[in-house]
Amino acid sequence: MGGGGGSSESGEPEFQIAPMIDVLLTLLIFFMSITTAEVVRVDKAIELPVAPDAKKKDEKNSMNEAMLNIRWDNAKQKATIVYADRPFPDPQPLVNILTDLKNRNPKYRVIIRGDKRLPAVEIQKIMTIIGQAGIDDISFSALNHS
Amino acid sequence: MPKRVPSEVEPVNLGFQIAPMIDVVFVIMLFFMVMAGAVKVEHELKQQLPGIAPVNPANAPEMPDEITVAIEESGSVTLNEEELDPANDSAMRNFVGTMMRLKQEADNRKAKVLVTIQAEEQAKYERVIDVLNALAKAQVSNVTFTVGGEE
Repeated sequence: MGGGGGSSESGEPEFQIAPMIDVLLTLLIFFMSITTAEVVRVDKAIELPVAPDAKKKDEKNSMNEAMLNIRWDNAKQKATIVYADRPFPDPQPLVNILTDLKNRNPKYRVIIRGDKRLPAVEIQKIMTIIGQAGIDDISFSALNHS
Repeated sequence: MPKRVPSEVEPVNLGFQIAPMIDVVFVIMLFFMVMAGAVKVEHELKQQLPGIAPVNPANAPEMPDEITVAIEESGSVTLNEEELDPANDSAMRNFVGTMMRLKQEADNRKAKVLVTIQAEEQAKYERVIDVLNALAKAQVSNVTFTVGGEE
């Protein structure tokens, strides 16, 4: 075979730089995309717990779900619910918002992103609010590793 | 001041240099390769809140095997009042093993396993997630969650 590259006139195979650069750039783009696409976009004030055996979050359903971020103020020993970047010191108005969303979309679900230092009673309160809104499909958010 | 005499400058080849470019690309690629392993991904533990779905009496399910898992404020987890793992062990291997055996037994009898997590009010949410993670590992999906001891 002539002209295919990879060998000199003497017949000895020689190192080709062009295909190596192609492969290198392909690998670079692959690693760049998986690193940036997987970065977690969560509330910086929340330290998520770790659950390595949980299922990976399906990003396809993000239109059908509400993210409830629950911050924990260790100094004041107080939890604050944040929904759509708006804090709810009194969580009762959330019931109406979630009920409205559930009525518009029966598949609507809620993801609880709670700080790992939260006491369980605060999670129970959130679950009560979600239950009052008529939503039964909930998920607890966690990280794959610490 | 004496006038500077310009020295003779050799012509520099400013053409594209492939070797330093490969060096840089290699370094960037190594960085992203290392970062790809350390990246944090959001996972989810799914749960169904009880008492909302309408029950059809004709298709009423059989009574499931009920297991109570208690989480104390100290972090100790008890399965039917028996502590299996230390309070600071997040992997909970003994608990996972026991749950897997119970699930296998129930599957053989074609029965369901219903786990009730009973957490103390001040028990840490992190510990609750440890238990939910262990149940997910044991493939137990019917989990209910209550806070506060039985009065």
